[in-house]
Amino acid sequence: MKTSRRNLLRALGLGALCSLAGKSSSALADPTPVPPRVVFFVTPHGHVPNAWTMPVTGPTDQVVSRSLADLPASELSAVLRPLHPFRDRLLAIEGLSHTSVLADVAEITRTGGDLNSHSISVAGLLTGARALQRNGAPCTGGARSIDQELAARTSAPGRFGSRVYGADYVPNATVAPFSFLGPGQASPIVGDPATAFSDLLGYAAPAGGGASREEMLASMRPSVLDTVAREYEALAPRLDAEGRARLEEHKNLVRELEKSLGTAKPKCDVGVDRTGHTVTQFMRLAKMAFACDLTRVITYVAPVPQCPEIGHSAATNVHGYAHQSIKGDTSCGQTYDPVAEAALTDLGIWYAQHFATLLTELDSVVEGSGTLLDHTAVVWVTELATPTHQMHDVLTVLAGGCNGFFRTGRYVRYPRTFANPLKDKPKTGPAHNRLFVSLLRAMGQPDAVFGTREAVGTDGSVVPMGGPLEELHA
Amino acid sequence: MSNGEYLNALADLFPDVHVDVPQLPQDTFVAGFENSAEAQKPSDVRIARFESIALLYSREATRDAGHVRALAGCDWDSPSKVTECANHFVETTGRRLFRRPLLPAERDRFVAKLHGWRATIDFEAAVRLTLGAMLQSPQFLYRPEPEPAGDVGAIVPLDGYSMASRLSFFLWESVPDDAAIDAAAHDRLGTAEGVRAEAERMLDDERARRVYWSFHRQWLGLGRITEEEHSQRTGEVDPEWTAATSVSARTESQLFVENILSKGGTFEELFTSRRAWIDREMARIYGVREPSASGFSEVSLPSSERAGLFTRVAFLGSTSHRGATSPPIRGNAIQLRLLCQAETPPPPGVDLSPPKSSPSDGPKTNRMLFEERTSPQACRGCHEGLNGFGFGFERYSASGAFQTLDHGLPVDARGSVVGTDVDRAFDGPIQLSDTLAKSRAVRRCATLQWMRYALGRAPEDAELPAADALTDAFLRDGHIKAFLLELVTSPSFRMRRLRGPT
Repeated sequence: MKTSRRNLLRALGLGALCSLAGKSSSALADPTPVPPRVVFFVTPHGHVPNAWTMPVTGPTDQVVSRSLADLPASELSAVLRPLHPFRDRLLAIEGLSHTSVLADVAEITRTGGDLNSHSISVAGLLTGARALQRNGAPCTGGARSIDQELAARTSAPGRFGSRVYGADYVPNATVAPFSFLGPGQASPIVGDPATAFSDLLGYAAPAGGGASREEMLASMRPSVLDTVAREYEALAPRLDAEGRARLEEHKNLVRELEKSLGTAKPKCDVGVDRTGHTVTQFMRLAKMAFACDLTRVITYVAPVPQCPEIGHSAATNVHGYAHQSIKGDTSCGQTYDPVAEAALTDLGIWYAQHFATLLTELDSVVEGSGTLLDHTAVVWVTELATPTHQMHDVLTVLAGGCNGFFRTGRYVRYPRTFANPLKDKPKTGPAHNRLFVSLLRAMGQPDAVFGTREAVGTDGSVVPMGGPLEELHA
Repeated sequence: MSNGEYLNALADLFPDVHVDVPQLPQDTFVAGFENSAEAQKPSDVRIARFESIALLYSREATRDAGHVRALAGCDWDSPSKVTECANHFVETTGRRLFRRPLLPAERDRFVAKLHGWRATIDFEAAVRLTLGAMLQSPQFLYRPEPEPAGDVGAIVPLDGYSMASRLSFFLWESVPDDAAIDAAAHDRLGTAEGVRAEAERMLDDERARRVYWSFHRQWLGLGRITEEEHSQRTGEVDPEWTAATSVSARTESQLFVENILSKGGTFEELFTSRRAWIDREMARIYGVREPSASGFSEVSLPSSERAGLFTRVAFLGSTSHRGATSPPIRGNAIQLRLLCQAETPPPPGVDLSPPKSSPSDGPKTNRMLFEERTSPQACRGCHEGLNGFGFGFERYSASGAFQTLDHGLPVDARGSVVGTDVDRAFDGPIQLSDTLAKSRAVRRCATLQWMRYALGRAPEDAELPAADALTDAFLRDGHIKAFLLELVTSPSFRMRRLRGPT
């Protein structure tokens, strides 16, 4: 079932809140000295549960948690261990479920379409909604993704709605990317750190005003953009409705660029070390973008490394190992191979190390009474739960706390009490969409639901997918 | 415009400007093609890129007084000359960028801005800024076809200027040149004969090489060999592979398509010609004598081993796994791309990994392993066709090298063409290529894909009879050029449906 969030808000009598989506009347415009931010750190292929989970005592039909604050590094799981320095600001969340994807797979099984569960889970990870089926092509995102929803609500003149960085490792011709501006419309990904840097600089640099001819020319950029925007207005009435809508959208973006030029703090174009691994460079750019308030939402899609980079033979690749990596739960007819499990574990550790770099970078900037990291929710999500294409028992890390909104320093295990929409699959924990509702709340947004509103289990029970995950909040 | 059209347009409009442009966001693909009209939507990154690129081009195109004079058509050394030069620049450059004469109001707006900027800085700066604005205007970046008055749903002829753009964006993947805009101005594009004459002129131009490669690259997925996992293949996995193979293979197919078709070639030759333009890298894989010079030169490949495009490394490599061929993937490429048959995904949970023989069984060919893997009843429905085509390509390794032995056993490349008008048993890829070259089903699929590419949208049901007529013509005369002339003079290309203001 696909539900428009706006319709739902309206149905709940919250229609007026929709105006929050408008850029002029954002709740975030109030002079909060330290704005909340979100980073989505997306890594493909899920996790090897043995390498990620940790034992927690307590009943399995209730939410239980344990403190991470006093644990030595050796007591963290292999994948979480690189995050030990940040243990008091972590939430390790075991047991969410990509329920919207499970429901979508169940529906496509009945109605036909692209049934590649990996395509559907990529398309659905950040949308929490049904994938868009396309005749003769793999499915793609069927709704605006959470990062772009937050972007739309937090953009302002001089501030990008969001930045989507990293690997277009699955070009959208073959498999969908993760972030979507709307149904079927991928967010542009900037994959080259130098370009990403100059984008940020374009906002940060003053728009001229000097005396030289080149400076005078540069100072005319807003005037040129104004001329351009007027051309869009002049042409629109001569086109049909669809053409007019497109020109209107284009014109608004030109106007935003015009308003943004030179509005950022000029001090922000300095001090970014642009050397090192591409991933590291992007982690530093994220720091710069937040420190300068050039955006409040970043999505980073991590690359899939070649096997030698994670210490394994070049004779195979990560995908080759993925299906063989879980004992007792292989997929695609493969047999378990301990080497594959080791490779996928090393992949998880490799990603964790990069994630730790991001946390370190954010923690290096003092802001208000804490650091950037304290004011950010850094969320590590994966489109699959396991490399073997399971989509329940998802393993998620949330770091930072987002201005104290989240109660960090804990490992939280959710009970698996919800029916699974797929046949012959175990019960699941709460829907992953609900984490997005919590993030909306952390960003000051009152939404009750994000993406698909509810699913139906194979036992006929309704699986609710709305409401925040309050156990994670402070 | 798609990214390709946009960059070609800039290159054609400013042939002496060479700048490094920042990377554009990817085009949104629809059914494998990059130029779908419905997918061309803006985003903040795209708008920022359009601005940066417009600033780069306008700066370089006005980099000295000589360049500004060429754009302005005169020297701006007196007040009256300033007016004359400004008008000339706006009218002539505007016409080339917007592919039609400027409307009086448009002209007045740009001229007024130019004089405003001139007063603030100087004339040369004003030309540069005006050009920068034009390069970001919707009349340049989009292909608006304003609707004439008429009843909603009515099918009316396209105006001449829109026709010139349709022709050039299709045949050159770029803007029309002055001659094509002149043809529209002189009302020569209102008849099928006029359109045909203009299209013939365009097809004789060097720029027409673009349509041949661009279409076949997208239709047949020939660019895939340099993408995704194929860009990461190594000799460790594929013995014949080197760091240069992917790009070399792609270039070889590009030269084949361009050279065959731009010199009056036929559809059949794409399947059967043994002509090849190869470099040392390809000579090694094809097992023929290396060209004496570096770069690509023409050879004839061995008639017992190679035929057209589907026996070349770009196709064969990109439809293989790394290190192992996959008859079903190759078969699927034929069904999906050449026959326009819908893809049936494998059932959930089946083993999609390359099959390997167990050490206890002794050697087996790849074909034997796939026959075993796909022998269950549930697999046969689809795999009869997939394997039927795919086994024919077992003469080629995953790298596209010709092989007579597979794991020490003789290669069996017998297969069957299934689900077409030319169903038959065949032996080997050359017989298969010959058979497909004569098929009406393949010709009809090609026609539909050409229509989609030419129109930037899927053909409507009402256009299917026209597609059949085009297919018949294509079967009678297989020359691609003749086919393209039929296509551009067909009602689908020359007419439009009014959608109304709402």
